[in-house]
Parts: sequence; C-alpha cells; structure tokens
Amino acid sequence: MSVPPIPTRAITIAGFAVAVAAMIVLEILARRPGSRIPTVGQWLGYLMRPKIGRALVLAGWWWLGWHYFAR
Amino acid sequence: MATNPARSDHPRRWRLVARPRRPAHLALLALIVTGLAVYAWVAAAAAPFSRGALVGVVIPGAVLGVIAFGRPPERIPPPAGLDTIGMSYWVICLAAFFEWEASAWRDNSGPWHPSFTNLVDPLLAPHPVKSVAILVWMLAGWALIRR
Repeated sequence: MSVPPIPTRAITIAGFAVAVAAMIVLEILARRPGSRIPTVGQWLGYLMRPKIGRALVLAGWWWLGWHYFAR
Repeated sequence: MATNPARSDHPRRWRLVARPRRPAHLALLALIVTGLAVYAWVAAAAAPFSRGALVGVVIPGAVLGVIAFGRPPERIPPPAGLDTIGMSYWVICLAAFFEWEASAWRDNSGPWHPSFTNLVDPLLAPHPVKSVAILVWMLAGWALIRR
C-alpha cells in the first residue's frame, strides 16, 4: 500500500504556522517573571531608542497596513 | 525622568486626584476606540488598490507620524540592554519566518508554495474581519509610539 504524498502547499502552511506559533510561545515565555527573553514590546522599544530606529519601525508598521489593507 | 508630583508627594493625594477623573478618562477612551472602530469599518469597505483604500492607511500613518515626532506621548522606558541569548530566540524565529517567505518569493508564490500574504489575504476578505484587523493595526501603531 502506497502512502499518498504530502502536498507541498501543506508543508508551506505548516512552516508558517510553526514560525508564528513559536513567536507566540516566545512572547508567553518572555512574560514570565525573571525571564531572559525580552517581550516584543521590550525589543521594539530598544530598537526605537534612536530616532532612526523609531522612524524605521514606524515605517514598517505603516508598510504592513498598506500591504494588507490597501492592496 | 519626569515624575508625577501628585504621585510622588503623597500616595493618598494621588488617589484623590485620580479618582474623579477616572470615569471621564474611561468615557474618553471608549469614545476614541468607538471612533477608531467606525473608521476601521469605513476603511475596510474600500476596494483593494483603490484611492479610498490608500487614503484609509495614509491617514492613520500621517496622524501617528505627527504624534510620534511632533507631540510624542509619555513613553514607556525601553530596557537599557537586551539579553543576547534571550534575543537570539527571537532572531531565530524571525529569520526562519522571513526565510520561508523569501523562498515563496523565489518560487514566485506558486500555489504549491504560497507566501504569507497569499495565505492571509483570503482570511482578511470578510468585511468584519478586515475591520477588526485595521483596528488592531491602528492600536498597534499607538502602542508603538508609546515605546
């Protein structure tokens, strides 16, 4: 009996799901007291300390909005 | 660092100052969130690639840009440094995500290897879902300028 091949599309979707799930888990772990892992807010805040970092992060936020909502 | 004199002088005094304002603050907050929700609903109705859709994202971007660089709100103090090992977990996850996305681009986002956008776009198609996503995007922008 032959096993049907796993469609490549399913592997791709699983890859994205794993990456997103890992980031959610990291955020949960980061919120535990005494965690060495920074939260998203903490590392974004760190990146946004210089003005250029602030401008780039805000530009990235705006690009996400344009990419998903205007296109 | 600026401290609130009412809070630092006397905790009880701070409570007395804060208490009468609280309902007004909550009402204002509810009004702002309702306004943003209405805006998100209207913006989500615009057809993709239309002028309305572009204006729908340009206005929040311009408003938050002016606030961020013109009149920034009180910011949450950023950490002085990041733990290298702790941050490396994030870097690995983000690198894996973007590598996966880049390989979809290289393959020209075929149906066998769709990009993240190809997967998310159909999920955002229903009007209520897109409205909530726009609202979350605007609130995320506000959270960013407080950092």
